[in-house]
Amino acid sequence: MSTEQTPDLDPRLLEILVCPLTKGPLVYDRERQELISEKARLAFPIRDGIPIMLVDEARPLDEDEGSKA
Amino acid sequence: MDEKETVSFGFRHVDRAEKASMVRAVFDSVAERYDLMNDLMSLGVHRLWKNAFVDWLAPREGGAYLDVAGGTGDIAFRIHDKVAGRARITVCDINERMLSVGRDRAYDRGLTGGLNWVTGNAEQLPFVSRSQDGYTIAFGIRNVTDKAAALREAYRVLRPGGRFLCLEFSKVSLPLFEKIYDEYSFHVLPRVGALVAGDADSYRYLVESIRVFPDQRRFAAMIEEAGFAHVQYRNLSGGIAAIHSGWRI
Repeated sequence: MSTEQTPDLDPRLLEILVCPLTKGPLVYDRERQELISEKARLAFPIRDGIPIMLVDEARPLDEDEGSKA
Repeated sequence: MDEKETVSFGFRHVDRAEKASMVRAVFDSVAERYDLMNDLMSLGVHRLWKNAFVDWLAPREGGAYLDVAGGTGDIAFRIHDKVAGRARITVCDINERMLSVGRDRAYDRGLTGGLNWVTGNAEQLPFVSRSQDGYTIAFGIRNVTDKAAALREAYRVLRPGGRFLCLEFSKVSLPLFEKIYDEYSFHVLPRVGALVAGDADSYRYLVESIRVFPDQRRFAAMIEEAGFAHVQYRNLSGGIAAIHSGWRI
């Protein structure tokens, strides 16, 4: 709905970011501005261009989310 | 088990689970006046200590540096200046407000390239293992609930050959000076904090948290326990603060 411009995260930052819980890889969801840890089933929000990598602030993934259709 | 594990929050003991949010509240409360607070607590010399700290780090061009608990950018900007912008610097802080203060400052200074900002917990870093040439933490570790976990995480994210450097308030080594500094920090400082920032409690926490932090030798031993080699420290201003250094080899 909203077409607000959000700057992409620095690719060099994405290279070094992992899930704080599992240390596993993250998938960058540009649309939703989230970093998804499949292993932990958590989505970490990106607010104002800053990734919030705190487990307390993460959104648990829905059951059908994240898996490839 | 019903017994709750407690940890220090200044001189009080609080639930282990509560400390992080209580510390966060302190920094939310002081974020905008953080520099002023540091000026008051260090008798105005924290800027010189931070210079000495980054001098000792001796960052190199092309390196990757992680500054933890460095929300306002004080250390990151110094590293950035030292390598003329030619390093990758990541600032990680648990407090979003401190980070936005830092990022605004970066914009004001026209610094954007090579600097990244991440909200994260020092005990649970969101960074790839062995990805960093340097890990710095200035006036941050004493606010971390599980210091051993933070040190292990520092070790994990450093490359072999990478350096850990910590600047923190420490134990004053001269007895007379200690007495004067005690008088100042317990009696004068909270009142000044109340007058200037309208927040005596936060200042009281900050002063108390300095006193319950392990002294130079004990902290050096903790760094060694996390796996670091060649651990050493330098006192600043008679031990009001100290810099600890260790290497991942």
